[in-house]
Amino acid sequence: MDAGPVKERPVHRRARGPAGGRGYEPEVSITEVPSGNPAGRNCLKFPPPGGTSRCPATGGGAADSLQATRGKPRVAPPCCAGPLASHPLPREPRPRASQHPCPWHYLHVSDFHDSLTPTCLRAHLHRRGGSSTPDMASAMTDHNPRAAEASGTYTYTSRPRAVPCQRRRYRDSLLQPVDESMTYGNIMYDRRVIRGNTYALPAGQVPGQPDPLELQRQQQARRKSLARKRAQAQLRPRTPEPVEGRKHVDVQTELYLEEIADRIVEVDMECQTDAFLDRPPTPLFIPAKTGKDVATQILIGELFDFDLEVKPMLQVLVGKTIEQALLEVMEEEELANLRANQYAYEEIRNVELAEVQRLEEQERRHREEKERRKKQQWEIIHKHNETSQKISARAFAQRYLADLLPSVFDSLRNSGYFYDPIERDIEIGFLPWLMNEVEKTMEHCMVGRTVLDMLIREVVERRLNNYEHKEDTQPSMRSDDVFRGPNTVADPSVSLELQESTISQSQKSLLDKHSQESNPTEEGEPVSKNDQGEPKESGQEELSQPEGSWEQESNSAGGQ
Amino acid sequence: MPLPDTMFCAQQIHIPPELPDILKQFTKAAIRTQPVDVLQWSAGYFSALSRGDPLPVKDRIEMPVATQKTDTGLTQGLLKVLHKQCSHKQYVELKDLEKKWKNLCLPIEKFRAILELDPCDEKIEWIKFLALGCSSLGGSLKAAMKNVCEILTEDPEGGPARIPFDTFSYIYQYLSGLDPDHPPGERELFLATLREKSESRKNNMIGLSDFYLGKKT
Repeated sequence: MDAGPVKERPVHRRARGPAGGRGYEPEVSITEVPSGNPAGRNCLKFPPPGGTSRCPATGGGAADSLQATRGKPRVAPPCCAGPLASHPLPREPRPRASQHPCPWHYLHVSDFHDSLTPTCLRAHLHRRGGSSTPDMASAMTDHNPRAAEASGTYTYTSRPRAVPCQRRRYRDSLLQPVDESMTYGNIMYDRRVIRGNTYALPAGQVPGQPDPLELQRQQQARRKSLARKRAQAQLRPRTPEPVEGRKHVDVQTELYLEEIADRIVEVDMECQTDAFLDRPPTPLFIPAKTGKDVATQILIGELFDFDLEVKPMLQVLVGKTIEQALLEVMEEEELANLRANQYAYEEIRNVELAEVQRLEEQERRHREEKERRKKQQWEIIHKHNETSQKISARAFAQRYLADLLPSVFDSLRNSGYFYDPIERDIEIGFLPWLMNEVEKTMEHCMVGRTVLDMLIREVVERRLNNYEHKEDTQPSMRSDDVFRGPNTVADPSVSLELQESTISQSQKSLLDKHSQESNPTEEGEPVSKNDQGEPKESGQEELSQPEGSWEQESNSAGGQ
Repeated sequence: MPLPDTMFCAQQIHIPPELPDILKQFTKAAIRTQPVDVLQWSAGYFSALSRGDPLPVKDRIEMPVATQKTDTGLTQGLLKVLHKQCSHKQYVELKDLEKKWKNLCLPIEKFRAILELDPCDEKIEWIKFLALGCSSLGGSLKAAMKNVCEILTEDPEGGPARIPFDTFSYIYQYLSGLDPDHPPGERELFLATLREKSESRKNNMIGLSDFYLGKKT
């Protein structure tokens, strides 16, 4: 039988206290140490199972007393408390906390006897503490070889064992803290160290708003995925619930068992202390009595003499009182004095003010009076001046204008402003008319003369003609006709003229008066007439008389 | 609280809490009033205090004047004290007045002398007594009136001591009536002028400045 490295993992007896499933390593003072730890199991050295030492099957005289107690080959032989130091962690079938721990591991060894028997096989079948399996396997194989031995079928040259787990499950020492990063890294390349500025947050953090949105989205996505998974899980066919009284347990069913150690089994334990009790009160300390008792007697007046005691008090009382009273009286007096002085002063001041006001009033009145008088006086003088000026002006004006009146009248008279209205009227009305009439008469005269001249000329011409004719004939008869016709003198040329003049005179006689213009002509004509009148004879006497009368008239008119 | 029967130490002596105050007031009053006979005056003080009457205390310290016209000890301040004590009633009993007079440690002969000026039986009108007291203070009528004004006035000390004109005229007439020197005509004239002044001020008060030309010291 290859007792080989029977690495039996002694199941640790789990004490109540210790947590984490760490038991004591069954360090049996075993002779054999597994020389090879082939799989690199770096932790524990198993107490080599003596061929008989541990094997429960053998139940043999192991130093393990507890083993000795069991007759059954099985799991969990409690190990005697061996030196733990180097093997802090029991390597043994430790159920993983996350998965269904085999409860039976933790049962007291002593209980293992019967009840575990049937389960033990199962237990070590499903055991995950990998290292246990080899043990168990080994146990089993132990078992088997024993059985085999018993049956004598099969032995291993190298015992089959589960693939050892590379991961250390236990710490080397309890005291050594768990090293998170096994190797010391360069801090510069450590991802956990923040690089860059520490005063500004990375861009993703600063804008708070997108983050919540993103967070929300992420949460929703997570929730959806979870829901999906749950739904799927529900849909997925599951194992049916365990039968009454049984419980499902996980088991490795692969071909090669594997020690699974990616999670370290952790178990929470609690403990609690009792509630605090109140501190009991300190007992009264009464020192022991020492000394002697002695007594004495006091009579009435001995201890306390009122007068004596009261004296200082009275001194203080009275002294302070008097002192204080004095002080206060002094203060009050001073204040009262001050006030009295103030009032007296105010009185005086008031009186003086009144006096001042009175004087001011007086002064003002005087001044006003003076002003008034002055003004009055000034007005009087002013008036006086004015009056004298007026008087002088008046006198002067009087004198200046004394002969104004006569001169005025003279000048007016000279300018013809005073006129006799009748005279004016005659001058304005009558004389122009007269002149007009005279003019008219004169014109008439002129016109008549002109006409006469024409007539005479005509006649003369005719006569001439006739004469010339009549040189052949008589010249005189026709001229009488001609003369009588026009009513003028017979003399041809002179008679014509005379006729003319008489015509004009006759015409003139119609006029009332003459104008001096006609005088020279009338005088001339009468003169001519007079000159030529003499030669006239018969027919002219009539005419000359009226001529003469006319002449006279014309003379008289001319004379005028 | 009565003293316990046995006292052991000085701290057990109990002083009533009102005592210091009473003592202080008393001391101050005594200092101000300067009574000749402290005991007599104290008796008067405390009896007045216990009765609740006005106290015979001067309001101001009155320094004793070096030259006094009358050696009676009666001063304006004392008259003021009396006035304070008696002015609430119009008539005072003579007995009462005498007691007060004594409490002020004033000579009783003076009291009698004053009373002789205007004899009366049981009661006397207080104003008259005051006027008589004032006249005994000062020499002339005017001085008496000045004192009256200063005593009766309600104005603060030093200010214009004004009293109602009616009071003034009453006192004046009373005093001048007693005094045989003053002819009534002059009195009337004086009063008439003063009346005009008081009415012109529209408060019917007459002050010192109206009739008394104070000596400026």
